[in-house]
Amino acid sequence: MIKILYALLLITVIALSNEKPTLTIYTYDAFAVSWGPGPKIKEAFEKEYDCNVKFVGMSSSIGALRKIQLEGKNTKADIILGLDTNIAQAANKTGLFAKHDMNTSNLDLPVPYTDENFVPFDYSYVAFVYDSDKLKDPPTSFEALASMPEDFKIIIQDPRSSTPGLSLLLWVKEIYKEKAGEYWKKLSPHILTITKGWSESYGLFLKGEADMVLSYTTSPAYHMIEENRTNFKSARFDEGHYGQIEVAAMLKSSKHKDLAKQFLRFMYSETFAEIIPTANWAYPVVKTKQGLPKVFETLTQPSKMILLDGKTVELHRKAIINEWLQSLER
Amino acid sequence: MASIIGTIKMLQDVKRLKHSLLPGGFISLLLLGFAFLLFFIFFLSQEDTSVIELDSRVFSLLQFTLYQAFLSTLLSLLVGLSLAWSLAHQSNFKGRSLLVALFSSSLVLPTLIVVFGLIAVLGRNGWVNQLSLYLFDQSFGAYLYGLTGILVAHVYLNASFASRSLLHVFESIPKEKYKLAKSLNFTTFQRFIYVEWPAIRTTLLSIASTIFLLCFTSFAIVLVLGGSPAYNTLEVAIYEAVKLEFDITMALKLALIQLAVTTFLVLFSSNFRTNIGNVRTGTLHIPWSESKHVKRFQVAIITLFSLFFTLPLLAIIVDGLGAEFKRILAEPLFIKSFFTSMGLATVSSILTVLFALFLSDTKRNFTLKHRLPYNTFSKVLNTIVSFSGNLYLAIPSLIMGLGFFLLSQTYEAPIAVWSTLALLTANVLMSLPFALAVLAPVMQKTGQRYDKLVFSLNLTPLQRWVYCEYPYLKSSIGYVFALSFCFSLGDLGIIALFGSDDFLTLPWYLYQLMGSYRTSDAAGVALILLAITLCVFVLLPRLFRRSVAKDN
Repeated sequence: MIKILYALLLITVIALSNEKPTLTIYTYDAFAVSWGPGPKIKEAFEKEYDCNVKFVGMSSSIGALRKIQLEGKNTKADIILGLDTNIAQAANKTGLFAKHDMNTSNLDLPVPYTDENFVPFDYSYVAFVYDSDKLKDPPTSFEALASMPEDFKIIIQDPRSSTPGLSLLLWVKEIYKEKAGEYWKKLSPHILTITKGWSESYGLFLKGEADMVLSYTTSPAYHMIEENRTNFKSARFDEGHYGQIEVAAMLKSSKHKDLAKQFLRFMYSETFAEIIPTANWAYPVVKTKQGLPKVFETLTQPSKMILLDGKTVELHRKAIINEWLQSLER
Repeated sequence: MASIIGTIKMLQDVKRLKHSLLPGGFISLLLLGFAFLLFFIFFLSQEDTSVIELDSRVFSLLQFTLYQAFLSTLLSLLVGLSLAWSLAHQSNFKGRSLLVALFSSSLVLPTLIVVFGLIAVLGRNGWVNQLSLYLFDQSFGAYLYGLTGILVAHVYLNASFASRSLLHVFESIPKEKYKLAKSLNFTTFQRFIYVEWPAIRTTLLSIASTIFLLCFTSFAIVLVLGGSPAYNTLEVAIYEAVKLEFDITMALKLALIQLAVTTFLVLFSSNFRTNIGNVRTGTLHIPWSESKHVKRFQVAIITLFSLFFTLPLLAIIVDGLGAEFKRILAEPLFIKSFFTSMGLATVSSILTVLFALFLSDTKRNFTLKHRLPYNTFSKVLNTIVSFSGNLYLAIPSLIMGLGFFLLSQTYEAPIAVWSTLALLTANVLMSLPFALAVLAPVMQKTGQRYDKLVFSLNLTPLQRWVYCEYPYLKSSIGYVFALSFCFSLGDLGIIALFGSDDFLTLPWYLYQLMGSYRTSDAAGVALILLAITLCVFVLLPRLFRRSVAKDN
């Protein structure tokens, strides 16, 4: 009996010592969940490189960044994935992220973006999504949105914790400039609630709690492909739409730097680019042979992509958020 | 000469009582030392030495926090008072004792559960709106997010707590007074003004100060139902400053303002004398039969509030039963959070009971006439011991959390160690005021009753404990144990700062499920949490009560 126990113990010790390296990636919930792109990417990457990939989902990607900041040098994360160009500069300032040494200038993006630490992996446009069965006449501009009837409610996300939330803030700022505060005051009666992350908002919207939710022009593709429902649409605003380019970077404190670099490079493979449209519901940054799924042609095409430079955003982010906070007070 | 004799006698007394003075004194010092350490850390962590500037955002946060706490208190008292008044006069109401018992559980219901139930009943898609849509084709809309939601939840939690305490006061009004009022042909209103109001006034004031403090530092409710930064309390703003913006300077600024206000309030209301003892209200008939209209009015109040109170609980049960328990129970995160929660609750409730016993043991030395009746000294020491037990009201959990967070940044240790330490401290401090309010009066009584006997027999502290104190205290200890166990189990405060996939409690897990709108799983976990809380709250005191000589 004891011999068997010893044998078992020995086997586990050997098994443990032979364990593959684990690449830990902090990201947002919707990326990590079982129906999100996380599991598919994990499978594809593990097949090519002999390792384990562990996605850790937070309520938002900024939440993931804050967690890394809270954990400091003891963080288990090797990579952060899902920040966008607006917040990447703030992340760079923490000094926690490492250079990627890759050429990212030839990517298929509507606007060029390069950063020495952060690597783009997909993009979309921020937009308000609605149910066309319930809402026949969606607003086509910010002005129209604020002039909707009293009981017209939207759900947005907190710009301090969520990247689409911050994008909306910058979107409004870019259009209204110094009158942005006034606009928020005008819009505030229509805001049902402000959630910490995108998933919460979208969940509430699908439960019928609000008429519109802040999401992406690509969100309706999900309902068409996965659920065969064509009634979800994104409202096209004449002013143009704010773009969101999602980025990833590896940590200086990572114990698996080579593997992390391989992962960043993997984000430019066709394998990765084929997973993105139908799992993360966004445009990939690399053209594939197959091209995009058909339904992507039916999606709202913004007249232009509005995107502020990361450095400008970082310079004014605090002030813009404060302006927003103050306009929301009664 | 007389003063020397007095001093010698005092020293003799102190020596004789050292067994009951020292442990409590030590704990009291420990707690005060902790508070001091916290202030010290805050002081050290301030980066710029400039004077704290009060920008308009901070000012409006403070303004809203005070405003919402004031409204919550007012509404809770109004509802609680009318409920207690109705219950006192409707002693024949069917299911009355069950209702009263249920109301007393509001104290330990995890706030998240309450929020969960309220959304299910009163949300935009909740029972009330659905019913109204079905009947009148009219929805009340989304009123539950924002100030209304915060007020509704606060009234839910505090009105039942207030009514429990007030009912006790109503029932202890001497029956002769009612008879006299009757013979004077008082109206119901006159009776209230001349007979009942004088009796409840003081209790009302102390309940009011307690509720105000609890609402002022409210966290979980505002976090979930607030819905917008416009409805943030200071407590939530501190959380956001740390967790969303990583702005420690701002968090410190807010924490210092919060501390200043709460300390002021605690000192102002000085005593936490709310009657939340383990009293079982019997059906005492008040010799006054109400007129038909008044009776109808009272029955309506009881019925309405019972619906308001029980429907959300019912909703949790109904929603929860549909969950896939097999999958939830097998979920690694659930298992982890379950064991963490149970472990923390057990340890912190044991610590709470011990601390409360030692503190009230020490306290009675200063209040009993035959022990240390040296007025000024005793009064000051008594206040110090009381204050150390009521620290939580001055230092709410998030501020404590911030302190621990800053400590964890300075001193290297695994984050799990800091999290455990922070949660245990917060849980113990949170339960102590209630534990002291229950145990101190009972210990005072045992002192009165047995001191002479114990001193004349020269019993050791252990003997005294085994033969005199424990049998007498047993049932109250069981109650306190259950109370602090449930407090710890349901708390969503510090864990909001320290929670992660590696260290999580049941409420944190539930908050995360709700946050990502995994509705059915959240409903299942909510039901499990509710079931554990109610079981512990009902069964634990019974376990202690069993085989107790019925001498209290």
